[in-house]
Amino acid sequence: MSTAASAAPTEGIERARGDSAPRRLLRRPAAAVAGLVIAILVAVTVGAPVFAPYEPTTLDFLNLFTPPSREHLFGTDELGRDLFTRVLYGGRTSMIVAFTATLIAMAIGVVWGFASALREGWIGEILMRVADTMMAMPVILLGLVLVAAFGASTASMIVILGLLFAPATARIARSALIGELRSEYYLAALSVGASRARIVARELLPNTTPVLLARATLVMAEVIFVEASLSFVGLGVQPPDTSWGTLLQQGYANLYRSYAYPIFPGLVILVAVLALNTLGDNVQKVLDPSRS
Amino acid sequence: MFRYVFTRVVTSLALLVLGSILVFCLMRVIPGDPTITKLGGSIREVDEATLAEIRGDLGLDKSLPEQYLEWVGGVVRGDFGSSYFSQFSVTTLITQRFGATLLLAIMAMLIGALIAVPASIAGAIWPNRPLEAALSGFAAVGIAIPTFVIGICLIIVLGVELEWLPTQGYVSFQSDPLGSIRSTLLPAITLGIGVAAATMRILRPSLIDVGSASFVRTATGKGLRRRHVVVRHELPNAAIPAITAAGIIVAHLVGGAVIVEYVFARPGLGTLLVDSVYQRDYGVLQTLVLVAVAAFIATSLVVDVILGLIDPRLRTKAVT
Repeated sequence: MSTAASAAPTEGIERARGDSAPRRLLRRPAAAVAGLVIAILVAVTVGAPVFAPYEPTTLDFLNLFTPPSREHLFGTDELGRDLFTRVLYGGRTSMIVAFTATLIAMAIGVVWGFASALREGWIGEILMRVADTMMAMPVILLGLVLVAAFGASTASMIVILGLLFAPATARIARSALIGELRSEYYLAALSVGASRARIVARELLPNTTPVLLARATLVMAEVIFVEASLSFVGLGVQPPDTSWGTLLQQGYANLYRSYAYPIFPGLVILVAVLALNTLGDNVQKVLDPSRS
Repeated sequence: MFRYVFTRVVTSLALLVLGSILVFCLMRVIPGDPTITKLGGSIREVDEATLAEIRGDLGLDKSLPEQYLEWVGGVVRGDFGSSYFSQFSVTTLITQRFGATLLLAIMAMLIGALIAVPASIAGAIWPNRPLEAALSGFAAVGIAIPTFVIGICLIIVLGVELEWLPTQGYVSFQSDPLGSIRSTLLPAITLGIGVAAATMRILRPSLIDVGSASFVRTATGKGLRRRHVVVRHELPNAAIPAITAAGIIVAHLVGGAVIVEYVFARPGLGTLLVDSVYQRDYGVLQTLVLVAVAAFIATSLVVDVILGLIDPRLRTKAVT
């Protein structure tokens, strides 16, 4: 009892001193490490031409399937290309797909969720039932059906993954907004005569942003995961485009000649997904301490 | 109880019908002409009469509601129509492949439960930091690690280097039960790790929640051993959220099975699904999706009934 009583006021003071959510987030070691890992991954893939030791197209037929060495950090592939270089360049496709697909999922999901929260009654009900039905299907399964519809390419991956994660985002956006709609500042804004559109854009959206950002981080992790899965079975990003998923697929096809070939792209995918998941979980915990 | 089960069955059937309409519409929206698939992708040297004949054979010349009723009517009688690509019926293709996937799913569930339940119990009995960190670490990595990465690592270590287990293919259960289980072991472990992590993520917080309940304090207060308190008093109460989440775990299983079957070259429903997308074989694709949706709805029905049995309060809530 006494600890609870003494903890509450100090927390109040900390917040009053401007102890912002980002700061509380960085004080968590797991979140800080995850954030650092993501920053490094983004930096080295975006700056691939700077960081890569070779050109991604440099062939070396004397050194096929070499194991990791000082010259070739991750070894070489079936054409003697440096795998480390290819992972960096492939990461660009994976990152572009992840960012844009997440953006699409968030945009559709927020509009979808907000619409269903603001339009109570049967329209909102139908919007949510549709979301529930889509969420009832396993992601990979629905993804494969959408691949059958849209075809397999980098561009269609972005659209498909954006659509795939919109319903779950809509659910979260809806519940976040419903919470805000019960708040007093919303009623106050209404009573001074602000239009609903204005309140949504100027008051409600900024207040739900932290929740949505946490969600976006988790969506990005899932997008990387599913893109890699679909590319791995040959129904995602298509050669000559290279992503971590296609590298893994090519590596798996050559498993018996080089263990390093499939292992390194796989590890990079694992690290990216793990870091994004950890960051997203921690953002949620900071925003809502009762959940931790 | 009867009324509860009855309403749940009726709503499940309604959901299934909705799902089948959704699947059907989805397949008709897909661009591309299935008759071209049937002809192997080339349409140039075919005259209109042949095309019309194939459309007639596949029933594509009828109106959409008619096509839907015909499809559903067939499904109810156990006839899933014909594959647009191969000359086999969809029913044949699916029954051939069903066993491999079913055995994989059952074994993966078992392995997942055998890892998750004892680990969660151990975590609750001995609440110390290193064990806690190890278990959370396993759950976090197990959720994030792509199934293909585990699969590839297991193939390298257990399959290629140690040569303990076969890495590719499948022996049918009817012809050789032991060999069949052996050939399923690697894929099942691969999939089971994900299942275990998903289960632990739900079971462990739930155990911690229950740990502060008053009946647990009473049980501890009357001098029961920690082991006894956890297994007899905490676990049954903590299991409810985990059972509720069985749907999520099954979804994980279905998605994972597609990839795992591909990694281990298993002739199951997952590889059939991937093939049907490759070949644009919509006859097979729509049936497989329907089967998956049905499996999913059936799981949540079973879960609801089990929960109704465990917790009588839910029965009245759902009916009224």
